[in-house]
Amino acid sequence: MMHDKEYYSKLGFKCGLEIHQRLATAEKLFCKCSTNAQGDLVIARVERRQRAVAGEMGRIDRSTSFESSRGRKFVYSVFNMSSCLVDIDEEPPHEVNREAVETALMFASAFGASVPDEIEPMRKEVVDGSDPSAFQRSMMVAYGGEISAGNSRIPITSIFLEEESSGIERTEGNTVFYSIDRIGVPLIEIDTAPSISTPEEAKAVALAIGSALRLTGKKGEHGISGGAMRGIGTIRQDVNVSISGGTRVEIKGLQEVELMDLFIENEVERQRRLIEIQKKLKSRGAEVSRMPKDVTSLLSKASGKVISGALSSGGIALAALLGGFSGLLGEEINPGRRLGSEISDYAKMAGVNGIIHSDEDLSKYGIGESLRLEINNAIGALSSDAFIIIVAEKAACSAAIEFALSRARMSLSEVPPETRSVADTKLGTTRFMRPLPGGSRMYPETDSTPIGVSREYYESIKKQTVYPSERIERLNSDINNRQIAGQMAMSPKLQLYEYITSKVKGVNLVVATTLLEKMKELERSGAATETDRGVLVEIFNKYASGKITKAAIGEILRLSPKSPDAVDLIIKEHSLAKMTKEQLIREVKSIESSGGKDIIKEIMSKHRLNVDGDELSAIIGVGK
Amino acid sequence: MYSAEVQGILSKLGINVGDSISVALGSDFQEGILMPRSGAGDSSILIIKRKDGYNIGIRYRAGMRIEKTASGKPEFSFPSSGVAQGPGLPKISMIYTGGTIGSKVDYSTGGVYMLTKPEELLHEVPELGGIANVNISNLMSIASEDMTYIEWAKIAEETAKALNGGARGVVITHGTDTMHYTSAALSFMLKGLNSPVVITGSQRSSDRGSSDAFYNLICSCIAATRSDVAEVSICMHSSSSDDKNNLIRGTKARKMHTSRRDAFKPVNNHPICTIDEHGMIEYISEYRHALDKPKDRVSAITGFEPKVALLKAYPNSDPAIIDYYVNKGYKGIIIEGTGLGHVPSAPSIAGLSWIGGVKAAVDSGVVVGITSQCLYGRANKSVYRNLRLLSDAGAVHCEDMLPEVAYVKLGFLIGNYGMEGAAKMLTTNIAGEITARTEFDFPVG
Repeated sequence: MMHDKEYYSKLGFKCGLEIHQRLATAEKLFCKCSTNAQGDLVIARVERRQRAVAGEMGRIDRSTSFESSRGRKFVYSVFNMSSCLVDIDEEPPHEVNREAVETALMFASAFGASVPDEIEPMRKEVVDGSDPSAFQRSMMVAYGGEISAGNSRIPITSIFLEEESSGIERTEGNTVFYSIDRIGVPLIEIDTAPSISTPEEAKAVALAIGSALRLTGKKGEHGISGGAMRGIGTIRQDVNVSISGGTRVEIKGLQEVELMDLFIENEVERQRRLIEIQKKLKSRGAEVSRMPKDVTSLLSKASGKVISGALSSGGIALAALLGGFSGLLGEEINPGRRLGSEISDYAKMAGVNGIIHSDEDLSKYGIGESLRLEINNAIGALSSDAFIIIVAEKAACSAAIEFALSRARMSLSEVPPETRSVADTKLGTTRFMRPLPGGSRMYPETDSTPIGVSREYYESIKKQTVYPSERIERLNSDINNRQIAGQMAMSPKLQLYEYITSKVKGVNLVVATTLLEKMKELERSGAATETDRGVLVEIFNKYASGKITKAAIGEILRLSPKSPDAVDLIIKEHSLAKMTKEQLIREVKSIESSGGKDIIKEIMSKHRLNVDGDELSAIIGVGK
Repeated sequence: MYSAEVQGILSKLGINVGDSISVALGSDFQEGILMPRSGAGDSSILIIKRKDGYNIGIRYRAGMRIEKTASGKPEFSFPSSGVAQGPGLPKISMIYTGGTIGSKVDYSTGGVYMLTKPEELLHEVPELGGIANVNISNLMSIASEDMTYIEWAKIAEETAKALNGGARGVVITHGTDTMHYTSAALSFMLKGLNSPVVITGSQRSSDRGSSDAFYNLICSCIAATRSDVAEVSICMHSSSSDDKNNLIRGTKARKMHTSRRDAFKPVNNHPICTIDEHGMIEYISEYRHALDKPKDRVSAITGFEPKVALLKAYPNSDPAIIDYYVNKGYKGIIIEGTGLGHVPSAPSIAGLSWIGGVKAAVDSGVVVGITSQCLYGRANKSVYRNLRLLSDAGAVHCEDMLPEVAYVKLGFLIGNYGMEGAAKMLTTNIAGEITARTEFDFPVG
């Protein structure tokens, strides 16, 4: 259902991106903990509560006040090496990590952005528990700049340096479990202007920003070091979408950029349908009741397990009238999602499983036609009306129905501004996460001091920066093979390649193909997963100095030496040394004298790993 | 605030802090609200709050165009709120004295500073309205490191007044640094106490959603409303989790961590009880129970002798410090000795023995008390020869009293009972500061 540019322009489509990229620094942004949590152990679990507090301007933000009203409990896993008291909100932050600030400024320069004279660390209030301090430290490091993707140039509005939040482990009822090992890892956020004109363009812009982040690097003694961390989960995309008559909705945490256009198309469609429903509701004079009714005794007649299970464990059933909503709760607004699903999402925020509504097939809950009529009578519903029912423990049920009714009420007047998360990756659908936050949740980080950025400082950072075009140019000329150079530019092994080739000269193409092809093959087969970079330098040194053949490189890697010293030992034990010219001549002569015909074939079949084919050809005088 | 130059330019343009402005230089353009400049950064850099809530700093430069786009409100205050009222609930008093518990951003330094309107706290903890009928008394707003015996006396008097006025209990909010000094002072000063007097504070300021202030206030109000602990106590987190608070005897508490929520620990003592936010009170150790019909009204005995010093003995320390205080007319000295209560007695460097100084002080009528910098355990006067020398010199070993508590106690005793009374009563238990038995399972650290 791809539409053209005109279609989106007519709808008043607006779209902007927020790209989040973890930085490849050794330490976290405001403490000395390692950013590498691999193999770390949980040493404690800490339980906390959070509540909404006023921002700097004295107002409580709608998103935080909503989260706070859910009254949830948070349990944090505390780690040995990758978390400390700062991460669990038991110690003020340390000095800001200069490496992270400089990396952020380096990226700012890659987008041609301007930097303020002073960076002001702020607290962005988040009370969903993802941060034990109930805020994320965040600072605006640059504004302005742009990104080109194909023929379009999209302005970059702002660039932020902030702390990564914690990873969610699981949710049990009203308790959410988080791991704080990755909290505080420096993250850069790149925001574009909302001037993207189609879903496909959004995807292209996201790819262009991602590639700029991967390819911008810093000159150093060990070659170029990239500023961006690589690997799964290190880059995330948030998309902001709106259409005329709709509102700005943020879709959070898209990890696969390939599916971005599908999500955007669906969001456009969702808003379009919600606007249509809104019009219908208006013309019907629809109304949402403010008085839910207890229908526990009525529903005790329902035979379905869902209802009887909840009631028998002490739950209650509340029903509410949605006047004039008949048929509209069941209207599909996205694949597999209805207005009913939207209302259900809000109810779930109170910890219930969802809602039952009158546009559903009620027989699956064991509600027959006569019971439906009784419910209608109890709440005063006519055939043009709809109802929703929630069955759950009393407190949760009362809170849930209020949340649900507030969403139903919104459908009369607006597409609510929301932050949404992925509901179904394949279908490209989303679900309500929390109200869209505003500026009220910002507060100065009083525990740290402003960071001055003089013009000279910014210039000195620019001088050390290697920009994407320059890096690609350099790869092209070093590798001398455009295809391999292009692959290397996109590869997670780029930094490793640059490290090795800063140490070993003249074998760039072999290093590149080994890393791109051989290593991948070995990794896939389970051998040589994480080879030490010192070992790789040693192996390529042996090759560059003619001690081993190209064919032997893969064999040595397969035997996975644990240290550079072990490389020699493996070469000796497995007879992987390259034959010297003298040995080769002797071998050729001995085969000639025993009447061998295809000398090359015979030697290569015996000594494949020890003989350089070109050298052999040269010796027996058969040029290629 | 802003530098004179910047301030001059802003005034000329009629721009005040809080106004919306735009700032343009070349192609650079920013707009937002002009924020107060904190003392922490460069005073010629304008702080602008953008629409997204972020602040950024833009240096004023020649040729920069600054325009006022809208007038704003100059004050930055929390939402106003009424005092929590729980009709039919027990009446308690909350005495606000300052500290982190009511702190928010202070633009003069960029750090945090205390609230001037403590009711704002209640706005953020509406649960209190369901626990008690809380009457707020805004007594003072002082950082706990700035507290003196003058403030201790004021707090003691205010507490007695509240209790005699019918309050079921009293909650005192206080900075944490010297909370245990105040708790000791109140323990000695409040006589005839028949109600819970609970001191609380927070390690994380209440302007953050994760602040321990909320949990501490809830648990303290529960303690003041529902417990029968007729003592002065400290109510703070028992662990890093928001799941339980300790109620610690005011004379046995000490701040043992600079920043953790569970910084306060009972030393040579168990907590009196633990309390959670649901009102569950679990009693752990012996305490003074409130009587149904109290004999007396509460009185505040607030005399205090400020000429009492707290000294620390350590390797290479110069005992001349004792002479210094004696010459200044000090009447009491508490020494934090090493181990069981030692001071340097026969060091190889001549002149570093404290014995002579202690003896001279005692001889001149000064009361000298010995405590241990180990904190945990009991001072002893006879195990080692050097301890006997100290004791022979006339110093009094203060049992298992904490050094700070011994210091407060000595000032209180001299201030109210004179030198002779003080010498006699220093080692007599008044408010739980000395235990008779050192129990095996008093936790260390």
